[in-house]
Amino acid sequence: MSRADLAAGNVIRMSLLFRVQHLLLTVLLTVLAVTGFALMYHENSLARWIIRLEGGVHNRGITHRIAAVLLMANLVYHAFYMLLSREGKPELRQFFIGRQDIDDFLQSLRYNLGMAKEYPRFGKYGYKEKFQYWGASVGIVLISVTGIMLWAEEFSMRFFPKFILDLALVIHGYQGLLGFVLLYLWHIYNVHLHPSVFPMNPSWITGKVSAEWLRREHPLEYEKLKEEGLL
Amino acid sequence: MRGSVLGVVVFLGGVFLPVFAQDASASISLEKCTLCHGKPEFRKLLVDGQIRDLYVTEDTLAGSVHAKKVCTECHFDVSEIPHREHPKRVTCTHCHFKGNHEGAPQSDNVLAYFDSAHGTAIARGNTKAPLCQDCHGSHRILKAKDPGSKVARTNVAETCGKCHMEIYAQFKGSIHGAALAKGIPEVPSCTGCHGEHRIYARSDPKSTVYATNVSEQCSKCHASVKIMGKFGIETEQVATYKESFHGVASQFGSRTVANCSSCHGVHDIRPPDDPLSTVNLKNIPKTCGKCHPGANPNFAVGKIHVDAKNKESGIIYWTATFFKWLTIGTMLALVAHIFLDMYGRTRRLRGER
Repeated sequence: MSRADLAAGNVIRMSLLFRVQHLLLTVLLTVLAVTGFALMYHENSLARWIIRLEGGVHNRGITHRIAAVLLMANLVYHAFYMLLSREGKPELRQFFIGRQDIDDFLQSLRYNLGMAKEYPRFGKYGYKEKFQYWGASVGIVLISVTGIMLWAEEFSMRFFPKFILDLALVIHGYQGLLGFVLLYLWHIYNVHLHPSVFPMNPSWITGKVSAEWLRREHPLEYEKLKEEGLL
Repeated sequence: MRGSVLGVVVFLGGVFLPVFAQDASASISLEKCTLCHGKPEFRKLLVDGQIRDLYVTEDTLAGSVHAKKVCTECHFDVSEIPHREHPKRVTCTHCHFKGNHEGAPQSDNVLAYFDSAHGTAIARGNTKAPLCQDCHGSHRILKAKDPGSKVARTNVAETCGKCHMEIYAQFKGSIHGAALAKGIPEVPSCTGCHGEHRIYARSDPKSTVYATNVSEQCSKCHASVKIMGKFGIETEQVATYKESFHGVASQFGSRTVANCSSCHGVHDIRPPDDPLSTVNLKNIPKTCGKCHPGANPNFAVGKIHVDAKNKESGIIYWTATFFKWLTIGTMLALVAHIFLDMYGRTRRLRGER
């Protein structure tokens, strides 16, 4: 965080490396959703149009798998980065889910229903961000398992009977749908539609958020930075 | 014998030539033809040792669709007795074309035939390929609906089998062949799948049995509850195939992916409980192994035509149902959360002011 940024009231929320990882995630998930749902709903005329656009079912499969491999690589890189790097380690610690997050969630519910006076005060990552982060990470790991099973179907069937692969296919499709629903209704709301950021939280491009936004939405982080003399 | 025939011919020539001269276009009546052709021993030894029977009586055409025709209406190149030139094979297109005035059915089947595998083989000079009369017969042509017709549903397999012998033998042993022999009216014979005049090679995209058309062709009967219900055969196979990886790839034009006949066989389709069936549980690994090298008995564990929306699919149905409600529940919870959060935030902002 440079002095100039602080003077402008801007706080760095996503470093360049995280922004690159996030952009990759965005692009790859979009490709996977478009190619995957086109197959899942292949009877739909829009899906048919998309499959033709992708060059038929064969090329659609190849596109889907290339994107899947890149996504898995992205996740593995991210995991190592969070576990081993100087920047990642403290970030990961802030993502741990604790008792406090459950309390925060319940208190926010109570507040929203008008049963509590105080809205919970979040640190850098509140329960919304943590749920999103772990949901996406665990989701990608789980969907990769069924995806790889289906990809290497002849290898899988050396060990599993056919109905397990049928099951894997059903689960893979619904996992994708569930992930997509979560992404749209949770993430799009939090970073696009939420009144404090509408139409968009710019940090995924610029990496920065305003100090004022931080004070309102993540007051504990704001106070911590102030104590450290960074604001 | 030979002398007497020649004598008759010479005699006839003397008597009737003036008549021909008067009206050359007049058709020669049956009586004139049967002077020679009416003798039961009137036949010809062909070069390949076969005997061609040339015996004709007034009963030859009786009962056929051409009962009212006379010889020269089809054998129109015959104008002299004895024939100076070898009479040519009858050309049915003389009358059978759309727009004819001869009273033949108004149909384009002849054009369809010329485009078909048989017609193009003839055009390329394959003398073994069939002409109209090879399937329909020559003098005793009956309507296809007539059970005595060579192209009647119950007889057509035998007619095709004259040339396609091996396939005919396979077909007779198949479930379709067996049902046909029992006289079941719905069952397909050769033409049921291959078409009639529009028969194309299976490598031709126009063919009803081209790789990507096969499932469509089978589903004409196998998707019909009305037909399949009579025999206790499920119709969901068509829908489940279309939903499967194989079916989707086929619908989008893959020619290498499995269609119905890749697994169930072609002319030798048998019910799954028949040990000779390619989809008998014991034979499934071998059948799948045609495309999936190293297929093992795991391929036979679990329903092949599986429908996740059907309760009979067991764990697959329950998993799908669980995920469906999980997704719906998640959506509702998230939407509820969004609205609550927005409501709460509005209150919070009001409080701050």
